[in-house]
Amino acid sequence: MPTLTIDGQTVEVEEGKTILEAAEQLGIEIPTLCHHPLLEAYGACRICTVEMQRGKRVRMVTACNHPAQEGIEVQTRSPRVLRHRRMIVELELGRCADLPVLRKLADDLGIDRSRFGTGEHECILCGLCVRTCWELVGARAISFANRGTDREVTTPYHEFSDACIGCGACVAICPTGVLKMEDIKGRKVIHSELTLGPQRAIRIPFMQAVPNAPFIDPDECAHFTTGECKVCAKVCPRDAVDHQMEDQFEEIEVGTILVATGHDVIDCSEMLRYGYGLYDNVITGLEFEKLSHATSPTGGKILMSNGEPPKSVAILHCIGSRDENYKEYCSRVCCMYSLKFAHLVREKTGAEVYELYIDMRSAGKGYEEFYKRNLEEDVVFIRGKGSEITTWPEAPGEEGKLVVKCEDTLLGTVRRLPVDMVILSPALQARADAAKVAQTFGLGCSRDGFFLEQHPKLGPVQTASDGIFIAGTCQGPKDIPDSVAQGAAAAANILSLVDRGSVVIEPITSVVEETTCGGCRLCISVCPYDAARFDEEKKVSVVDEAVCKGCGTCVAVCPSGAAQQRFFADTEIMAEIDGLLAEIGDRHQFPA
Amino acid sequence: MKGIEGLKAWQAAIQEQRDPDATWIAVCAGTGCLSQGAADLAAALREALIRHSLEGKVEVKETGCRGFCEQGPLIVIHPEGIFYPQLKAADAERIVSETILRKQVIEDLLYQDPVTGRRHIHEGDIPFYQKQMRLVCRLNGVIDPTHIGDYIVHGGYQAAAKALFEMEPVQIVEEIKRSGLRGRGGGGFPAGVKWESCRNAHGEPKYVICNADAGDPGAFMDRSLLEGNPHSIIEGMIIGAYAIGSHEGYVYVRNEYPLAVRNLQTAIERAEAHNLLGDNILESGFDFHLKINRGGGAFVCGESTALMASIEGRVGEPRAKYVHTVESGLWNKPTNLNNVETWANVPLVIEHGADWFSAIGTETSKGTKVFSLVGHVNNTGLVEVPMGITLREVMFDIGGGVRGGRHFKAVQTGGPSGGTIIVDTTGAARPAEDRDEHERGPALVPESLIDLPVDFESLTEAGSMMGSGGMIVMDETTCMVDVARYFLNFLTEESCGKCTPCREGIRNMLAILERICDGRGQEGDIDLLQEMSDTVADTSLCALGGTAPNPVLSTIRYFRPEYEAHIRDRRCPAGVCTALIEYSINATKCTGCHACFKACPTDAISGEVKAAHVISTAKCVKCGSCLDVCKFDAVVKQ
Ligand SMILES: Cc1cc2nc3c(=O)[nH]c(=O)nc-3n(C[C@H](O)[C@H](O)[C@H](O)COP(=O)(O)OP(=O)(O)OC[C@H]3O[C@@H](n4cnc5c(N)ncnc54)[C@H](O)[C@@H]3O)c2cc1C
Ligand SMILES: Cc1cc2nc3c(=O)[nH]c(=O)nc-3n(C[C@H](O)[C@H](O)[C@H](O)COP(=O)(O)O)c2cc1C
Ligand code: SF4
Ligand code: SF4
Ligand code: FES
Repeated sequence: MPTLTIDGQTVEVEEGKTILEAAEQLGIEIPTLCHHPLLEAYGACRICTVEMQRGKRVRMVTACNHPAQEGIEVQTRSPRVLRHRRMIVELELGRCADLPVLRKLADDLGIDRSRFGTGEHECILCGLCVRTCWELVGARAISFANRGTDREVTTPYHEFSDACIGCGACVAICPTGVLKMEDIKGRKVIHSELTLGPQRAIRIPFMQAVPNAPFIDPDECAHFTTGECKVCAKVCPRDAVDHQMEDQFEEIEVGTILVATGHDVIDCSEMLRYGYGLYDNVITGLEFEKLSHATSPTGGKILMSNGEPPKSVAILHCIGSRDENYKEYCSRVCCMYSLKFAHLVREKTGAEVYELYIDMRSAGKGYEEFYKRNLEEDVVFIRGKGSEITTWPEAPGEEGKLVVKCEDTLLGTVRRLPVDMVILSPALQARADAAKVAQTFGLGCSRDGFFLEQHPKLGPVQTASDGIFIAGTCQGPKDIPDSVAQGAAAAANILSLVDRGSVVIEPITSVVEETTCGGCRLCISVCPYDAARFDEEKKVSVVDEAVCKGCGTCVAVCPSGAAQQRFFADTEIMAEIDGLLAEIGDRHQFPA
Repeated sequence: MKGIEGLKAWQAAIQEQRDPDATWIAVCAGTGCLSQGAADLAAALREALIRHSLEGKVEVKETGCRGFCEQGPLIVIHPEGIFYPQLKAADAERIVSETILRKQVIEDLLYQDPVTGRRHIHEGDIPFYQKQMRLVCRLNGVIDPTHIGDYIVHGGYQAAAKALFEMEPVQIVEEIKRSGLRGRGGGGFPAGVKWESCRNAHGEPKYVICNADAGDPGAFMDRSLLEGNPHSIIEGMIIGAYAIGSHEGYVYVRNEYPLAVRNLQTAIERAEAHNLLGDNILESGFDFHLKINRGGGAFVCGESTALMASIEGRVGEPRAKYVHTVESGLWNKPTNLNNVETWANVPLVIEHGADWFSAIGTETSKGTKVFSLVGHVNNTGLVEVPMGITLREVMFDIGGGVRGGRHFKAVQTGGPSGGTIIVDTTGAARPAEDRDEHERGPALVPESLIDLPVDFESLTEAGSMMGSGGMIVMDETTCMVDVARYFLNFLTEESCGKCTPCREGIRNMLAILERICDGRGQEGDIDLLQEMSDTVADTSLCALGGTAPNPVLSTIRYFRPEYEAHIRDRRCPAGVCTALIEYSINATKCTGCHACFKACPTDAISGEVKAAHVISTAKCVKCGSCLDVCKFDAVVKQ
């Protein structure tokens, strides 16, 4: 362990440390520009130059890469060091005058103005980006080109580079902010739709996520798409990143299940006339929710894609709802959340807001009052469904605007509304995987694909399968209060079962007689409750008595007669028949 | 082929085939002569020989550079050794019919001494060659570099064989150390010491590299050696590799030197074909593979770490050498890098022994040094002199003195990348880190130091240095501020741009020098230049930046009044900086011959025939045409 002195203080450091690290250990700050602890020392900016004495020999060396050797004496603020440091900063300022990183260094050194002019470069040529790309990412997509003052960071021949994996590590490390994603690669830019911002491959799913830990999105992650990068693992101080981790399937034995899988919203890009996905500022209700949320890329500000606040906004109800071409039902929540949007837009931007509705459905506690309040806030309500959005101007004032066409049924005219932004309120619909989920849990579905409750009034959260409950929008469109109420009801039902610790099951269930079962598995395919399964070892079907409802379907299809219903076994029925017939036979004699 | 015996047998076989009395013509085909028409001359000679039915009887051999490039194209007719310089293809017929056939010397083709006017028949009689000691260059001009037999017949590869069969690696290192051979690439670092460190360094494989970047403008000795005698470099590298324990070597040579690349490539192929390179060399059990790496022609790629980065396929820029390259160089493996001339000296040392070698030269600088002597001297070219010769001998005896009877002003050695001399008056400007291995660069030797012996120490003590071998002589018509500007301009373009002080510092120093030359110099500029030099020299990453201020500092040190004249009086004493000079006509001397009137491209001169002429300063563009044409010294430049 070498011992050295820095500014008169003695320090012992581990073998292989640099003077810079030794100084850090003593709390002595040496300015750096091109140094980063994760990267190999580069020694380009020379800002960290210090005076080093070994024996009689005094030399100027760079602290970031000179080894902290035994017995050396280092001065970090000697007159000679400061003289050079000032000159170097002055020279850098002569190249890039307005950079905050440099300005700060200059202020610290008492440099007011550089004698070498006010350069307009933005890149200090520290090479952090290049080295990140080579050393950490391994993509080697950017490098330095040209010599001397023409030196610059670029892709080979200034062209779009296929080596770039679009990880953005270079952008993240650049101390000046000059490097932007588009500069490096047009591949991945700022408007990834639903998220309204660059989506990091490693991220915490959303603000209130539980657990509140980041995950890696394999579709986005450069490592999973290129096999390289792994910058996250290199920078994580806790060594917590594991790229080997895989999805795991676990089987948990439970007594009851609550299905609350929610809903999807209809895909607005299918409805071409609204131009969703075509025009930048036509967004869906969900995107608006994201945008106005405090954690959005705009910090909750309502802005158009050009970064300006809109001056007028139209909110279109019933996109896909109450529409024979799409969903016949009313999605129930859109009227109210659209009112919420109108209120938010008025409050945050003061923009003109148009609500285009078929009927205003504000049934619910306090809901009608909220509608009134919106009226007072000068939201313009137009009764009529928005029928089309275009950017083709037909009248003055429509240029550069989104023009919403609609029939105003109160005025009895067709109107054209030029606005800056349109929010579509899409229909809620059953999730795409609802049928599969229904099959898994033995649930029924109504015609529109939502799960079927046991009884609309008497069993609203129960289902045909005992111990399996439903709640929320998977059962049908509803708002949060209703969803929560259902959830609480289901929870109460579940708790009563759990509390009892046992369930009373049907006495009349099916059993499969092992010796006669031929293993054809017909019973398994017909059982509506998924009660029958196959015993691979014995090669026979087995019925789970806790699940079996005793419907007898399996008994009816079993070709070998192995499936039998308790208390209704063939032999029992035949015996009963025999008994009955015997009685009759006693009274009537049939001819043989 | 096996061992020394095999080699000697081959040599004898070739000797037997050759008639020592046969007539043959050596045509210098160095780059200098080629550019002056040597290829045409050789063809013309061959045609003439055919015309006289001498084909097959008289051989025309295209050899490497003979050094006296200024006199090219030139030939030597053997065995008599008749030297004909400055030939044209048209002279071929006469040469063949008179000198070859009739053995008559053609008087008017002989070299004429510009000073004494005497004509000389043999190279050896010419002052340019007389004080030289051509050891490294001895075979340049004698052998055809593309014919390995030519090298073999002169004892080629016997030093390598001696090393492989009769010496232990450690013994070789000792021998090189004892010989006192020092790096010829600029720094003068003892080659044996470097070899020893590399030999002792941990890590496998080890590499040896020949630095043939030869990027100094005007310094072409390395290139000439590669072109004229590539086998000597290969042989040196075999010996070095064996001593160090390396089996893989690289020659880093500029792509811009196609002849060098081609001749070296041929030499490597021939050597491989004859089991002199590759696996199991001469059946000694030692393997050594040599590859050529072509550089893109950046000056900074001559710097050892940049060169290695470039071989590795990375951007050729230097890195810190706090860990030396002998320990961690190419691909982080122990690497021994030497200059072309250093390698070429190695076979000499092994062949003749350390004692023989160390007898040449001075106490601390052994052997010879090749210089490219250019500038305002009568004889320019490549000269090889023993260490310790005086500057006066080089410039006046070999170089024939200053051209046109002008006064000697300064000599600059070591190329543009700055010298190691500490000329800063504050004593602070010291070269950057790691000066030991790669010191080089120019230093100006003022007239008062003209009797200085040329060796590493004396030059350094005097504030100059050996450098890589460039030697530029300047006469009184040279402006020292302009010289500094010239070198900084070169360096601005050649700085790799990695580190701030070099990239930005040199650029800004150049801007200041430009304004001084432009007559816009400010009071305090000299101090500012010194202040900047201090930082650039002290903090640059590599020796390019570290020594870049030296042209500025040394010119300020020795020629400060010249700077002051530019800044304070807006005057260029040497009359070079166009913005600061004015042309006028001395009416008493002017005869009114009208010559200048005709020469002036801008009609700035007026005057009747036989009456004194005048120059209109407003129209004059300072081209100097009038000065050149005036036979009466009437045009005055001030
Ligand atoms: C644009 C918009 C705005 C709205 N605004 C309001 C409002 O302001 N106020 C209000 O009261 N209501 C509002 N609503 C309605 C509200 O979104 C719903 O009432 C509520 O989200 C329903 O909650 P849920 O838990 O049933 O379903 P969801 O919120 O959809 O949650 C279902 C969860 O289950 C997960 N899941 C799905 N399938 C599986 C599976 N197989 N295994 C495991 N997990 C699964 C999903 O990932 C999801 O996290 C709005 C709806 C929309 C579309
Ligand atoms: C900017 C710069 C350019 C250099 N160019 C060359 C060159 O062209 N040829 C060369 O042999 N050495 C050159 N050198 C010196 C090398 O770094 C190195 O010291 C030398 O090749 C070592 O060989 P030697 O010990 O045999 O002299 C250069 C150094 C610097 C700083
Ligand atoms: S772009 Fe940024 S990170 Fe890259 S060299 Fe320039 S300043 Fe440094
Ligand atoms: S001193 Fe000049 S050439 Fe050397 S690393 Fe710095 S910028 Fe490059
Ligand atoms: S931080 Fe050390 S040279 Fe840049």
